Amino acid sequence: MAIKFKRVNYIYQGMDGTPFRALKDINLTIEEKGEFITLIGETGSGKSTLVQHMNALIKPTSGQVEIYGIKIEETKKKSSKIKLNPLRQKIGLVFQFPDYQLFEETVERDIMFGPMNFGISKEEAKKRAKEVIQLVGLETGYLERSPFNLSGGEKKRVSIAGILAMEPDILVLDEPTSGLDPKGRDELLELFLSIHNKLNNTVLIITHDMNTVYQYASRVLVMNDGNLVFDGKPIDLFASPKLSSWNLDKPDLIDLCDKLSERLNITFENYPKDLEKVVARIKAGYHE
Amino acid sequence: MAYIKLDNVSFNYRKDQPVLKNISLEINKGDWVSILGHNGSGKSTLAKLLIYLLKADKGTIEIDGVKLTEKTALDIRKKIGIVFQNPDNQFVGVTVEDDIAFGMENLCFDRAKILQRIETYSKKVNMHQYLKKEPHNLSGGQKQRVAIAGILAMDTDILIFDEATSMLDPASRDQIMDFIKQLKAEGKTIITITHDMKEAIKSNNIIILNKGEVLAQGDTKKILTDKRLLNTSNLELLLPLKLMHRLKQENIHNEELGEILWQLSLNA
Ligand SMILES: Nc1ncnc2c1ncn2[C@@H]1O[C@H](COP(=O)(O)OP(=O)(O)OP(=O)(O)O)[C@@H](O)[C@H]1O
Ligand SMILES: Nc1ncnc2c1ncn2[C@@H]1O[C@H](COP(=O)(O)OP(=O)(O)OP(=O)(O)O)[C@@H](O)[C@H]1O
Ligand SMILES: [Mg+2]
Ligand SMILES: [Mg+2]
Repeated sequence: MAIKFKRVNYIYQGMDGTPFRALKDINLTIEEKGEFITLIGETGSGKSTLVQHMNALIKPTSGQVEIYGIKIEETKKKSSKIKLNPLRQKIGLVFQFPDYQLFEETVERDIMFGPMNFGISKEEAKKRAKEVIQLVGLETGYLERSPFNLSGGEKKRVSIAGILAMEPDILVLDEPTSGLDPKGRDELLELFLSIHNKLNNTVLIITHDMNTVYQYASRVLVMNDGNLVFDGKPIDLFASPKLSSWNLDKPDLIDLCDKLSERLNITFENYPKDLEKVVARIKAGYHE
Repeated sequence: MAYIKLDNVSFNYRKDQPVLKNISLEINKGDWVSILGHNGSGKSTLAKLLIYLLKADKGTIEIDGVKLTEKTALDIRKKIGIVFQNPDNQFVGVTVEDDIAFGMENLCFDRAKILQRIETYSKKVNMHQYLKKEPHNLSGGQKQRVAIAGILAMDTDILIFDEATSMLDPASRDQIMDFIKQLKAEGKTIITITHDMKEAIKSNNIIILNKGEVLAQGDTKKILTDKRLLNTSNLELLLPLKLMHRLKQENIHNEELGEILWQLSLNA
């Protein structure tokens, strides 16, 4: 087990002095290998706060996060940097806002920063930058551009490239597909899946897109008002009567099947993951 | 006569690298138009040209019959509320409250009206209990909701939403879509920039940008059912429409089924 949350609470100290409890007694275990997890929940429910604990960017106010055997606790506030550095290479975190992550003069230097920080040679980092920029769907010409003079979606892609270049063991992505065009969204999800399949590495994605949950995840976590309210299989989540009370909805394919059963009087034994099954079902019904 | 009119507009950030090329388009008063297109196609740039944050290198922009120039920009801006793609670029106030007030102050609303509208609109987007918080300390979706409240409160004739719901949960997104529908019913002119076809289908007109050019412009149904066109600019068919397309390929199509699937996609 790579990451373990034990009764983790997190309190933000507001500017006006009022504390805000963003995480409430979170217990959670994430394996190093084999998991493809989506983390969902209404806006402000604590998702970004939760994942920032996973590479010790923030530390629990109470309780404990254990990452690869290193215990992170409030009392150990000054846990030395030397300890955290290798940990941050192992767990790569892509921020929700790319602007918080981009800071170098060129895209190339921005992507090279992470790997070089972890001791990779300049030549190797350069090579990786050239590879990953293409993986995220941008031409190598972007390497010379300033990361600040890019479109929203382009920035997002560069911020993802920077983390991929670090080749982390666990990939944690905070809304990596928001702001991407539909083709880019599909291509990047396939990219994350292929990384997962190739190395069996755990991937964790925060998203508001139920299709991503349904089509990709083997496990889904739901946050609601600072609580972890669901940890299980996507198919069980979408059957849950609580779904809409958590501000969530059904994935398009399930919604379509439900509505087709209603309108066309055709039934599905179980929900398909592939539109072709629906096509076949209607075709069969049509020829009857 | 068109309410917003672009005639042969071109723009580049860097010399010899045109980002928008000879854009001509017209938007009527009371229209809800979606601007779609691949990442980097020029959507946000176009929006910034409309509020004179960027200045066209070539061509003219006319809004409500007035040509957009340095002289007219200030007055024209008063007609337009824009939610920027990155909500962090929107925030100027120390607190959420100040922030929602900012746009209204620029429009010289009186104090009582401002206070009352802060109340109304922060409640509308469910951010009322955050009024004293610092905007930069909000979650991504909360930032977007505050930015939207600030624009709605201004009550301008034209509203531009640049991917304003990209980080909202499904229920909040639906809620914002309902507000926009309501604004359209009130006669406002609305431009939504989005990658979400579920949002696009609710507008009545669509403009697709591709590599800085207008690839297509027209009626929503015509454009959102055109698979080839959508694919050209990295877009997609909504699932019921994808099914319709596949069934046609399988030689299954009748009007009733087509209508049902269209209706389903409208409410997707
Ligand atoms: N720096 C901060 N100071 C004070 N409160 C904060 C801070 N960051 C977040 N919060 C509050 O903590 C709660 C959880 O925020 P978080 O960013 O984790 O939510 P989220 O689930 O990621 O939401 P979203 O989907 O909108 O990104 C929110 O109510 C937010 O206002
Ligand atoms: N400040 C800038 N300086 C130089 N080039 C820029 C700048 N901002 C954007 N660009 C370039 O202009 C093009 C259009 O950018 P724009 O932000 O308008 O795209 P967009 O359609 O809004 O994309 P997205 O869907 O990713 O938000 C992009 O290729 C981008 O790299
Ligand atoms: Mg977040
Ligand atoms: Mg944009």
